[in-house]
Amino acid sequence: MSLKDQISSMDMDDIVEMCINQEQQAIDLYTLARDQAKDESSRQKFQELVDMETVHKVSLKNFEIENYIELPPADLKVTNYLMEPVLKDNMTTQEIIILAAKREDKTARMYQDLADHFHFDKKLNTFFQMMADEELRHKHDLETEYENEFLQEG
Amino acid sequence: MKRERPESFNTVPMKERMIIPRQDMPEQDALLRSTNFLEVNLGLTHEQAVFEAQRCIECKSPTCMDGCPVSIKIPDFIQLICKEDFVGAAKKIKEDNSLPAICGRVCPQETQCEEVCVMGKRFEPVAIGRLERFVADYSMQHGNGSQETFDKPASSGQKVAIVGSGPAGLAVASDLIKEGHEVTVFEALHEFGGVLVYGIPEFRLPKSILRKEVASLEDMGVKFVKNFIVGRTMTIQELMADEGYDAVFLGLGAGLPRFMNIPGENLNGVYSANEFLTRSNLMRGYEFPEWDTPLYRAKHAIIVGGGNTAMDAVRTAKRLGADEASIVYRRSEEEMPARNEEIHHAKEEGVKFMNLVNPIEFISDDQGSVVAAKCLRMELGEPDESGRRRPVPMEGSEFVMDVDMVVIAVGNGSNPLISQTTPEIETNKWGNIVADEDGRTSMDGVFAGGDIVSGGATVILAMGAGRKSAVAINEYLKAKVGS
Repeated sequence: MSLKDQISSMDMDDIVEMCINQEQQAIDLYTLARDQAKDESSRQKFQELVDMETVHKVSLKNFEIENYIELPPADLKVTNYLMEPVLKDNMTTQEIIILAAKREDKTARMYQDLADHFHFDKKLNTFFQMMADEELRHKHDLETEYENEFLQEG
Repeated sequence: MKRERPESFNTVPMKERMIIPRQDMPEQDALLRSTNFLEVNLGLTHEQAVFEAQRCIECKSPTCMDGCPVSIKIPDFIQLICKEDFVGAAKKIKEDNSLPAICGRVCPQETQCEEVCVMGKRFEPVAIGRLERFVADYSMQHGNGSQETFDKPASSGQKVAIVGSGPAGLAVASDLIKEGHEVTVFEALHEFGGVLVYGIPEFRLPKSILRKEVASLEDMGVKFVKNFIVGRTMTIQELMADEGYDAVFLGLGAGLPRFMNIPGENLNGVYSANEFLTRSNLMRGYEFPEWDTPLYRAKHAIIVGGGNTAMDAVRTAKRLGADEASIVYRRSEEEMPARNEEIHHAKEEGVKFMNLVNPIEFISDDQGSVVAAKCLRMELGEPDESGRRRPVPMEGSEFVMDVDMVVIAVGNGSNPLISQTTPEIETNKWGNIVADEDGRTSMDGVFAGGDIVSGGATVILAMGAGRKSAVAINEYLKAKVGS
């Protein structure tokens, strides 16, 4: 059964729970990477990612579709053409940001696809659009940080 | 606190000062210089320097000093030039800046002292940088070196280790030797000067200038040790515990090259700007085969980036004989961080500028050597936090161009050696050492300043940080004696 078919048969609470699990998986991944990182600077960056995903997870638990205002951030596409780094214990902060931004990009695309698919269901469409926008916002923030630190060409 | 105005020696009436044109610095012919590594700028003549100094309108509240990160007494030294006391003018600068011949050449005065010069509001600003260079060079040729500004103090009996001989380290050494401390500078490479020697080409900063500045510090009593890697040859803990250093200053710079993380960056013919410039500058690749380090003579060299390092690299590639040397920059010229003078000189020398272009892949032949670059065209979007408009890729704009040499000049990070070998020293997520505004780190007796703290910045900012740290180190050492 495809993800879209699964979602069609789920109620809203289950769908939210599924998304919360998705966030938890990201938290678990970044926590593991933080604990295995050899370098203090890498640990700090992974902790920031854990914090970012935790905030998103908490906000999902308390979300109200009625209050959502669409405000999609610009896709800067700074990391789109970069190679995807492999998760390892000696990653540089540069690699960590690329890795995280690419993950956010993939997740944003998945949610955007779901939002488009459920265009006929206002509630589902708004929820997935909100999720897509949030992931894109994370990507935007990561790419802004990447530009500020790694692309100043000074 | 209000400063007293220096005694005026300017005999030109005020109104006439404003009609004296800003004095252009003589320079080598562009066609000729693009084939040699001799210095491009030739320096003001004696007469030009006096004319230029006479343009100063002696403001009641001069703002030029506020624009200088080390607060050189600019109005004072300019008046001494009017008096034709050039050695005195150099001495005045040296009260605040131990490396005037270097700063006069590489400081971005147009965004510092000259940017806030009152004269510049209606006319062109006084050419403060050119004057600084003139008196520093004059003093080197005609003065009496460091002895003029230095009376050897009584020994404090305390030892300071300075790690790195770049601008921050040299500034600290200069200030602390005057306090009577025993100062030793440890350098990882085989020449002193840090980024000044491996990063800045001969045609912008002749090595002879740097050697004279180092020699001047040696005359003052500073010891220099080369081929010594702190963190490998000896750790900071060993320097303090075993070698008896009472304090350590870390001025390591930002020497770790950054890459773009696009496919093909590991191909033959793709260099970091650090490697390329080090091969040419420090290893004297431009004098191959008299010197042992070869450098490839490219048909088409592209340099990715828009900063001063990119300009240094592209002009070096041109001088090494590249048929074509191009800057590939993802923003427009307006957003380029390089000095206008460097961009202007590069254009004069025949460098091509491919702005709003970004490489996304380097392509190889069957030998693993780069033969082409796949690029995207960019368009400018909304401004970022720095005010520069953000470049955004244009869909479907991919193109491929032939290149046989690529230099990546997108910036540098900090070398992780110290953080790996000295966990007591706190670093941030970028790997920079965390220090307070006086350079104190989390480890007792260890101070840091310059690019290793701030990330890549200018020579004068590194020197300014070094000078602040020198004050703090001196206070620390005095307190140590008292305790």
